[in-house]
Amino acid sequence: MKGIYTPVTKIRRQVFQEIAKLAFEGGDYHRIEELPFKIIPGEVASYRDSVFKERAIVGERLRLACGLDVRPADKHAPVSDGVNEAAIDRLNYEPPLVNVIPFACEACPPKQYFVSDNCRGCLAHPCVSVCPVKAVSMKDGHSFIDKEKCLKCGRCHDVCPYHAIVQFDRPCAASCGVDAIESDYLGRAKINQDKCVACGQCLVNCPFAAIADKSQIFQLVHALREGEELIAEIAPSFVGQFGPLATPGRVKEALKALGFKEVYEVAIGADLGALAEAEHYAHGLSDEHPMMLTSCCPSWSVTVKKFFPQLEPCISTELTPMVATARIVKQEHPNARVVFIGPCASKKLEAMRRTVRSDVDFVITYEELMGIFAAKEIEFGEYEDVSDAAEATAGGRGYGVAGGVASAISAVIKEKYPDLEVKMDRAEGLRECRKMLQLAKAGRRKGYILEGMACPGGCVGGAGTLEPITKAAGEVNKFAKASAEATAVGSPFAGKEAE
Amino acid sequence: MKKLTVEVCVCTQCVLNGAMHIIESIEGLKKLKTQLRMNAQVDVVTTSGLVEGKHPDTAPLVRVNGELIEKANSETVMEKVLSQSVRSVKVQ
Repeated sequence: MKGIYTPVTKIRRQVFQEIAKLAFEGGDYHRIEELPFKIIPGEVASYRDSVFKERAIVGERLRLACGLDVRPADKHAPVSDGVNEAAIDRLNYEPPLVNVIPFACEACPPKQYFVSDNCRGCLAHPCVSVCPVKAVSMKDGHSFIDKEKCLKCGRCHDVCPYHAIVQFDRPCAASCGVDAIESDYLGRAKINQDKCVACGQCLVNCPFAAIADKSQIFQLVHALREGEELIAEIAPSFVGQFGPLATPGRVKEALKALGFKEVYEVAIGADLGALAEAEHYAHGLSDEHPMMLTSCCPSWSVTVKKFFPQLEPCISTELTPMVATARIVKQEHPNARVVFIGPCASKKLEAMRRTVRSDVDFVITYEELMGIFAAKEIEFGEYEDVSDAAEATAGGRGYGVAGGVASAISAVIKEKYPDLEVKMDRAEGLRECRKMLQLAKAGRRKGYILEGMACPGGCVGGAGTLEPITKAAGEVNKFAKASAEATAVGSPFAGKEAE
Repeated sequence: MKKLTVEVCVCTQCVLNGAMHIIESIEGLKKLKTQLRMNAQVDVVTTSGLVEGKHPDTAPLVRVNGELIEKANSETVMEKVLSQSVRSVKVQ
């Protein structure tokens, strides 16, 4: 569904825009009670059994957009409960980040295989032959699957010449690479927070909009309204996210028009990371640390820590691009507060870490930012397309696309250590990442740089992006190629790393 | 071959409300030219000046050969484009 504008996308974006508008207008926030009626007008339900339920779900999404908790259906609580208290100019967050709105979940059945009408009852019936537990048989001239016996291995599905055996899975569970989606007592999706790495793929893949993450836009707009010294750092995947009028130069100008004092590209920190990780690879590998795992994707590094703890020492200890850039910002603007704008949900959690909390003050996604732009009636076409100050290199700007991180590090190694052979492997999507980590655990990736990206396509496929992955990747690569410097070695910030 | 111009507004409100997906959908139609029996060359143009001023209540805006579509979506625009660019099939 990523990249397709559906009614789910519409509601999500309306919620961001309305919450930003509410915060810009200020006053008594009890009027948040009116917003479900604005977003879901009329008396007739569009997608569910009742318009009241549709509004109740939107009410919970509005609360999550204010950073508040989702409430169970058996508790009396108005939408506005706690909203005035959340109207502050600093972060207001209680875990968990990613939430299922229980009464919005349709309790889709878990993974199973069933025989469709396409079955011809063929003579060969290979579905029967390949089943290891005799769960498939021929009954009344058609293939039949005994659900009690079925292992859900999918062999029958793979061999059917008519594609008559269909795999059914809950979209949230299918998109979760760490199998964190479980069921509650009513069969509704429930997130196992011990497993969840907050990649956000479940929230973009639920066709009933039953999953959402907490946002910080309500508090950020208050900070903007207060006129505080806010500096935006925008991730490399921002290019092309806000439409054809929003050139990189205009995005920066539009952010300043919103109230940001300055805008930095996170690609600056990515350059510093590539330089440091190239040195790490050239000099830091040992018997104890026989490979280097990139560190920039927080969901990937948390996956390593949770599911492959023996590989945790191999994760690069260099600062992530978000943190490295934030530290540069705070060196240059000691009183400023830093707002990271990026594609992903999990950066919100990275910014909560004890070691990062003082560096990054807010995290919002591109989609949330677009809601703020719309609420403030910012039009990109009205701003000058200021030429780029060439602060970042092609290496750092390429971090937003899968393969870009490893390529940037490798380019630095080739330039500085031309005789050193670089071995690389990479994976995108957490399921694929886990396969790669399995090989690493088995000792088959010694001497490698391992790049892991939790989202398909890399950061351009993050949960908080607006554009289709392929198109966004093309825009990011085009912008990177136009950089004055090809590799991070040419970064003007090299040697000025923040502590 | 006749020409069909599809103008898509790409102002902030229109992009937020799905203008880019409408563009993708129309570009995608070109790949089905043969199956759809299209007899027009479809040109997609992005603009921010389809109407005067801001239009939050009517976004996204699309104009197909001069005809304005308010609150457009991929379905309504594809339907309009095809109604003006597909050869009629004579039933014998």
